[in-house]
Amino acid sequence: MNGEHEELIGKLKEAIIDIDEDEVVRVSREVIDAGVNPLEAIEKGLAEGMKVVGAKFEKLEVFLTDLMLAAEAMDKALKILLPHIPRVEKPERRGKVVIGTVMGDIHELGKNIVATMLKVNGFEVLDLGVDVPASKFYTEAEKFGADIIAVSALMSSTIGGQKDVIDYLEAQSVRDKYIVLVGGGPTTQEWAEQIGADGYGETAMDAVRIAKTLLEKKGGEV
Amino acid sequence: MVTFLDVIEKALTGKPTLPRDYEIRIYSKNLREKVEEYDIKYDGEQLIPNDDSLARDVFNAAFDFFIETGVYCVDTGRVIKFTEEEVREGLREAPSKVYFGEGRDRKPLTPRKPEDKKAPWCFLGAAGGPVSSEEVFLALMEGYASIPETNSITTPALTMVNGLRIRPKSPLEVLGAIRNAVLAREGMRRTGRPGIPIMNTLSTAESAVSLAAALDPRYGLRKSDGFMIGVLDPMKVDFDRLNKACIIMSFGAPITIDFSPMVGGYAGGPEGSAVSTVAHHFMANLVFKATYFTPFPLHIWHVCNTTPDLIWVNSVYTQAVSLNTKFLTIPLVYVASGPHTEMVFYETAASVIPPIVSGGHIEALGVAKNKHEDYFTPLEAQFAAEVAYSVLGMKREDADTVVKEILKKYIDKIKDAPLGKKFQECYDIKRVKPVKSYVEIYESIKNELGNLGIEWYK
Repeated sequence: MNGEHEELIGKLKEAIIDIDEDEVVRVSREVIDAGVNPLEAIEKGLAEGMKVVGAKFEKLEVFLTDLMLAAEAMDKALKILLPHIPRVEKPERRGKVVIGTVMGDIHELGKNIVATMLKVNGFEVLDLGVDVPASKFYTEAEKFGADIIAVSALMSSTIGGQKDVIDYLEAQSVRDKYIVLVGGGPTTQEWAEQIGADGYGETAMDAVRIAKTLLEKKGGEV
Repeated sequence: MVTFLDVIEKALTGKPTLPRDYEIRIYSKNLREKVEEYDIKYDGEQLIPNDDSLARDVFNAAFDFFIETGVYCVDTGRVIKFTEEEVREGLREAPSKVYFGEGRDRKPLTPRKPEDKKAPWCFLGAAGGPVSSEEVFLALMEGYASIPETNSITTPALTMVNGLRIRPKSPLEVLGAIRNAVLAREGMRRTGRPGIPIMNTLSTAESAVSLAAALDPRYGLRKSDGFMIGVLDPMKVDFDRLNKACIIMSFGAPITIDFSPMVGGYAGGPEGSAVSTVAHHFMANLVFKATYFTPFPLHIWHVCNTTPDLIWVNSVYTQAVSLNTKFLTIPLVYVASGPHTEMVFYETAASVIPPIVSGGHIEALGVAKNKHEDYFTPLEAQFAAEVAYSVLGMKREDADTVVKEILKKYIDKIKDAPLGKKFQECYDIKRVKPVKSYVEIYESIKNELGNLGIEWYK
């Protein structure tokens, strides 16, 4: 990689860290025009920049909105860069996560944080939103080719919905196909074990760590 | 006057806006701009500020922010906006004296001011914390109703009905909400104080239909109770919540709105959280016609309001509200540690003092992040009330010194706060009395805090 290319990748990383979407888009186009390997730009520029933003969020040097804006900027850059990667060089398949809040529960803050942190850490995420029926977690995971189903619930009167998702997967004989993670206000490790979930994250960072660990155990990669 | 129907009309005709745009490009952006414009800064040094101009700035920033931002209606995808005159009118018309309860336990809730010697309203209990059984629920209610300082009760939430875990919007939720009301009143009756108002009615009723079902007078709820509606972050409402408001207004009872603009979330840092918490009071007043307010800003990772930044937030927004409005605000205390630990008392003291010396009342309390079944007892609530009464009239400057000393006792453990023991391990449930080992911890911490500047009133 020549100096000019290195500089552009550095600029891309800095633009993500600065959460400057216009600059991210501008540099991404420059990356293509200058003939920089787009895969390297993604891995050493975008992904490294997002890691820094994620670490700052952990320390609350930046906040949820900053994290979401950085993730939006990254998505825009990916739309520019991905089509230019030669087929043989396509990046490793990323871990895929279907995430949502259980039926009857419309709280989304925690779910949004986890979804964004998973994206920041390289997962491909399909967010089903809130008030999601158990059957939809299953059907969407099948369509998306998910590795992980992440089920959020905020109220003590709604966490029963997490068990319903697991029951549904068992009834469809696909329980072992997916890693099921649970989280949200009233959820605990004890509850996760009780309903047969594979993992529980008290915070978004826990959720990411557990998702990575369980996916690696299963032979997948983020 | 903005009527409830005006609000619904605004929800149907406001500017169509995508939810993501409202969250990050309107709410967060406007909030950040107002914090900068009014130069509101948390310096990490003074946790209980005594500068009234800061409270004024936070109030003004919240006022401007609310008018520019509006409230998002999830079901219509539109922004409900209010004019400056409407917000001012809402401030003028807000009630400043409301009676709750029956018989000897009928009392007026009125506003307080910073450093006020007037007794606070002690809204004690489990703050909707989850319980495993009806037996535990009843014993807890007896315990909370037996605390002399209890003005009203914040009940726990049942999670099971006849061994079946409650599902939202299901018949189990309807049955659970009814049972929650019946058991709460029964617990108070057993202590000889059936007139104590329940003021978080109903924590088991997440949906409007469950609330409506539990309102039949035979189940024991009364117009002299207070009815709680939780709003969605950031500053969002939906039809189900508006339906609840509609039901309660028709019933003729007071409404409270609880809200938690988290530090680290859409509100940004502590400055944004403080400003947004004040703005949520305007929302509650205008959209829901709230009579009283139960804010509980939390730390996004530690899920409590006992970290230094949250202590500052609680103090600052309470001052902004108490110095500039007649709103009846009752900050909800949330601690990270659980019962039968020293830390739970340190945290409780550190989080009760700021709202009390800043002109608020207290709702106490969420224990062990309010998420673990049965991990709370009446002793923590009793301790909270004793702290509140013992710091009446304390200068904010002195309170700041005391709280900083208390913070040193627990802050390094906040990340891995001890869970402690369940209610059943901390209490003799049949007699509803704390076990000796827990009383010893309680007494030893009272002694210790006495040496740090708290003069116990009893």
